[in-house]
Amino acid sequence: MSDGPILLVEDNPDDVLFTIRAFAKNHIRNEIVVASDGEQALRLLLPGEGQPLHPALILLDIKLPKVDGLEVLRAIRDDERTSSLPVVVLTTSSEERDIVESYRLGANSFVRKPVVFEEFVEAANVLGVYWLLVNQPAPPARNG
Amino acid sequence: MKARASQKLMTVGHEQLMALIDHTSAVIYMRDADGRYLLVNREYERLFKLRREDIVGLTDHDLFAEDIADDFRANDLRAFARGFPVQMEEQAPSDDGLRTYVTVKFPLTDATGRSYAVCGISTDITERKHAEEEVRRLNNELEQRVRERTAELEVSTRELDAFAYSVSHDLRAPLRSVEGFSQILIEDFGDTLAEEARQYLGRIQANVARMAQMIDDLLNLSRATRVELRREHTDITALAGEVVAELRGREPDRSPGIVIPDGLVAQGDPHLIRLVLQNLIGNAWKFTVHNPDAAIRLAHEQRDGVDVYSVQDNGAGFDMRFAHKLFDPFQRLHSATDFEGTGIGLAIVHRIVTRHGGQIRAESAPGEGATFRFSLAPAPAGWVL
Repeated sequence: MSDGPILLVEDNPDDVLFTIRAFAKNHIRNEIVVASDGEQALRLLLPGEGQPLHPALILLDIKLPKVDGLEVLRAIRDDERTSSLPVVVLTTSSEERDIVESYRLGANSFVRKPVVFEEFVEAANVLGVYWLLVNQPAPPARNG
Repeated sequence: MKARASQKLMTVGHEQLMALIDHTSAVIYMRDADGRYLLVNREYERLFKLRREDIVGLTDHDLFAEDIADDFRANDLRAFARGFPVQMEEQAPSDDGLRTYVTVKFPLTDATGRSYAVCGISTDITERKHAEEEVRRLNNELEQRVRERTAELEVSTRELDAFAYSVSHDLRAPLRSVEGFSQILIEDFGDTLAEEARQYLGRIQANVARMAQMIDDLLNLSRATRVELRREHTDITALAGEVVAELRGREPDRSPGIVIPDGLVAQGDPHLIRLVLQNLIGNAWKFTVHNPDAAIRLAHEQRDGVDVYSVQDNGAGFDMRFAHKLFDPFQRLHSATDFEGTGIGLAIVHRIVTRHGGQIRAESAPGEGATFRFSLAPAPAGWVL
């Protein structure tokens, strides 16, 4: 099992609470690091100095303050330190253009947050099992 | 016979020919190589208020303004130079301003082949010109108006797009919170809550789910309106099969008899037509729930060359008195306790069918099932499904 942290990029504190709860209910004990906007997410992943966060999974909302999710995704894919990290777009939208654009920019998966909490718990379970257990991640990119 | 007829024609004299050219509404005249008048017809006299005996020997420069006379002369010379009839538009003054003529000019040649005069026949086309200009002006105006309306429509479509996007995002988020916290209350504090309180929480959740469904349906309705319509080969049989498989997956304990004929196809937008089938077959599925011998039948027929598809069920049906309300958003003909639904599905269906240029019609009676017929292409004028 990948035991790296999960980076949750989410500005809605309720959703943060639900996501943490949903993973806990599924006994996924990976640390969940929260970035509440796109800029903060990029500072964690691609810091100017210091140790970058190397998450086992990134859960990325699209509609975010400052730098939106799709821009974060573009930056992640553009930098070799983060280009192969698994990114699951986890968002309220089911607009076709968001789905198309997410995949075009290299999202690994697109999940619409269900309204019903129990369905969300189930989605978190599937995501956790697949991305942290079943999936074989790329080895970390060597820097410099 | 023929020979005799031409013989007679040959003997027609000057008088008769003059009578002929005098009784036409065209302006007819003959000028020599120097532009001096040899002959004009009565229409010419009437038009320019001149008598033919006064004109003979004069040139256009004696009769008309210089620029007009120059034009006439240049056209005469063209006919001379060419040696065969030439056609052109000319303008000549009249009491109510310049009038436009279409003129044929041809040279007259003597026995040696030398051109010695030019004949002109001018027909007044001023009215036609005005009409043409009017048509052109109206066309331009119409095109301008279409351009303006298209631009307006594009703006409103963009606004609708932004609105729908915002609805899909911003309206669902608080709903998730209401749902989520209701669930957390039940999970974490269920033991200490009175049974009644837990029931209320359940009702909150049921309503949230209903509202979420409404938002999704509204989004589908708006999407059915704003997505660009593609017209391609669409396999209706396959789409209907997928829809039925989904329904069976969702309610595996139900097994209504379903007939989907092989080889049903249409020209249309597969994504949108899928929504049509999803709603119509979904409705049939829903309204046959109380019938132990539930049957749903998809069919196709041609009516006056128009492809008509139908979805028929033997479910609850509805009263035809309310049929006119059927396709309006949020209209429901059954209470929420009998059958759940948001009342948007048929509005989506109607929107999609209309966008394809088709028609839709429902037939039903309470307790006797319902049949929805629809077409997906424009029908001949006056055709009604």
